[in-house]
Amino acid sequence: MALLSLRRVTKRYPGVTALDSVDLEVDGGSVHALVGENGAGKSTLLRILAGAERGDAGLLELAGERLALANPRDALRRGITVIYQEFALVPQLGADANILLGMEPLRRGLLDAAAARERAGRALCDLGAGFDPSTPVERLSTAERQLVELARALVRDARIVALDEPTAALSNRESEHLFAQMRRMAARGVGVIFVSHRLEEVRSVADRVTVLRDGRRVFTGGLDGLDDRALIRHMVGRDVEYERTAGQGTCGDVVLEVRSLSRRLRFADVSFTLRRGEILGLAGLVGAGRTDIARCLSGADAWDGGSVLLRGEEFRPRTPADAIGAGVACVPEDRKAQGLVLSLKVRENAALASLRRFARLGVIRRGEEIAAVARQVNAVGLPADTLERTTGTLSGGNQQKVVLAKWLLANADVLIVDEPTRGVDVGAKVEIHRRLRALAAAGKAILVISSELPEIMALTDRILVLCEGRVNAEFVTADAQPESILAAALPGGEAA
Amino acid sequence: MSARSARVAAARPRLAQVGVPLALAAMTVLAAAFVPGFLSPANLTTILLHTSINAILAVGMTFVIITAGIDLSVGSIVALGGVLAAKTLTSGDLLALVGPAGAAVAAVVVGLGVGAAVGTLNGSAVAHLKVAPFIVTLATMTVARGAARLVTGGVPVGYPDPGDAAYAQKVAALDLLHHVGGGRLPFPGLPTGFPAAALVMLAVVAVGAFVLARTRFGRYVYAVGGNEEASRLSGVPVPLVKLAVYSIAGACAGLAAVLLVGQLRSGGPDAGTFYELNAIAAAVIGGTSLLGGSGTAWRTLIGALLLGVLNNALDLLGVQAFWQEIAKGLIILLAVLFDVWVTRASAAAATREPALRGP
Repeated sequence: MALLSLRRVTKRYPGVTALDSVDLEVDGGSVHALVGENGAGKSTLLRILAGAERGDAGLLELAGERLALANPRDALRRGITVIYQEFALVPQLGADANILLGMEPLRRGLLDAAAARERAGRALCDLGAGFDPSTPVERLSTAERQLVELARALVRDARIVALDEPTAALSNRESEHLFAQMRRMAARGVGVIFVSHRLEEVRSVADRVTVLRDGRRVFTGGLDGLDDRALIRHMVGRDVEYERTAGQGTCGDVVLEVRSLSRRLRFADVSFTLRRGEILGLAGLVGAGRTDIARCLSGADAWDGGSVLLRGEEFRPRTPADAIGAGVACVPEDRKAQGLVLSLKVRENAALASLRRFARLGVIRRGEEIAAVARQVNAVGLPADTLERTTGTLSGGNQQKVVLAKWLLANADVLIVDEPTRGVDVGAKVEIHRRLRALAAAGKAILVISSELPEIMALTDRILVLCEGRVNAEFVTADAQPESILAAALPGGEAA
Repeated sequence: MSARSARVAAARPRLAQVGVPLALAAMTVLAAAFVPGFLSPANLTTILLHTSINAILAVGMTFVIITAGIDLSVGSIVALGGVLAAKTLTSGDLLALVGPAGAAVAAVVVGLGVGAAVGTLNGSAVAHLKVAPFIVTLATMTVARGAARLVTGGVPVGYPDPGDAAYAQKVAALDLLHHVGGGRLPFPGLPTGFPAAALVMLAVVAVGAFVLARTRFGRYVYAVGGNEEASRLSGVPVPLVKLAVYSIAGACAGLAAVLLVGQLRSGGPDAGTFYELNAIAAAVIGGTSLLGGSGTAWRTLIGALLLGVLNNALDLLGVQAFWQEIAKGLIILLAVLFDVWVTRASAAAATREPALRGP
């Protein structure tokens, strides 16, 4: 019998089903890899395992016993440790204090630092860590922090340890060391869950693999006799069929020319051109540098190498206001944190970037504001009666349209759209695609960043694939295969 | 959720709009019914007079709190601005040069200027050095109080000794400012007239409300408080907005300082103690969220009036001052609980609302 089994676990968010009746069995003493595209549901699965989120349906069993995890503390007590990419460590505290957080050894009611140091030291030593157990975590490297998290699982006698893309920031040697520790834990009977995008890593460390796609389990099996091509086919599959608008654009002159743009540690030597009427896609994994490029072009961050020409002239925005003034605007990926002021009304959000135009001596002319906003709100397909509603009460799709209306109102020429349909229901997705295509047809130049391959395939004219901060491949959408795009996006994958 | 509780929850956001005015009305009715002498025009205008300084401070505080900031220094600014204004007003040299009227104008300028300057200092530390507002203004609160004591030697300044060479002129200057700070203007139907300071208060509230509701700057204030990052990415000059709200709070404190000097005919280094907390209380009772993004000047005025009515009624009833403080604390607690309750309900109502569809 499997050590851990999930039965028909389902999790819905407003407008999205993140997990749809997923089954998963993890045996003790083995490493089980979990793979899938961004948004396939891996993170949600881990959060449910960690007790950080509750499923809407389905059940969890650990060693044949039903679990009802109310919170992360519950999960830890039952022996389930989930190690996220952003570590759950307190940076100012020592490694030992972090390892024993919540289970501090006491002596006569007071903290027993010596015992803590000793116990944590033993666990760290076991994992081959060579640093002083009392070192504050903020002074440790990523690889060392990972070991602290693993030691934390060790001292809690964890039966299930799940790692979310643990090697994303590690060197090869560090990764090898981590894999050795994962296998040692498995050898002691622990069930290890390993989430990764790197197929060769999955091969080298895992015994079995489960593929998730669009919140569903599409494959589980041993890795023997399964080649990368087959694995990728499982990951891509075709489920959501969008209306294809690709290649409909009649491209005009070049608006934006990016020449070997670089930002340290983020992306390097990125070059491309963007034409009027064109929708260019930036594909790649989360963290491949796509959002960083968008932030640089829209003035939110600075680049440190290369140059950009906008309508043939040198373009170097120092602030978002500069970029907006030049007609370059970004619809950010995190709508709630970066795109909108949710406490303002729809009208106020839509007008936020162009208030100067409606103000005389600093006083806003309400009539002009309303008329102009109403026009754009209409152009993006928002019902007119939403104008005076608080933005936070709108659905995700409509909120996204408010952001679009804001940039149209600000006369943006170049629109960078980061994950345009994240957290938006399917009907609204199709509509947003249509609106973007209509904007391109009206002469805007659009750069679309998306983690959803079907979206990139449906929406764009050309595709640039980024991998670890570099352009790995370029495709004309009409001739591209999703498999070759994904292959170019995976680290160590072949550029097609 | 049952139909009834759903209906109650849906009504909550509306309750938020009328809740505080309703509370003020209820308290006024209660006081009118049970407190002898409360309803007389003389007493009602006295409440306005006594509320005016707190309300002016609270309007400035509202600007700051809407940006999710806080200003603890306004009470000390009242002291520093006040002693410097009082010194200016009663400076023998200045009086000899420009007379009582000129000195009064100079005193107003000094009070406002000192307030705006300290406020701008607060603002630049918050906006450019990115220090937490609580810490910045805690520091200037202490510094300004110390400076006020330093320049006065710890004793009130202004009112001249009978033997003073320029005694008559100094008293004339103080009297002049007293017309504004503590004086009353003739008003039809009011035998005691209408307090000039309350008129100043109404003007400040009206200007504050207009700026917040109708100007570009006001819109930016709400935007920055609601979501600083989204505002920055929309091209809003976030540092400038932050700097300006602290300057405004400082200038309001300077104005309050001048009025207080007028009222008392002197500037005291210990004046304004705890005024910052009363101003925060008025804003919060008026529904300004300490998390930023919401609040209005009119509602803050209502918050200040609520405190004023409470104090006055308890005064007239002869309730001990200690009990008054306890009552005031409880009212603040109630207001905050009410705010939490309303916020939670409107969040719940928002998620229940059916998704809108485009055509």
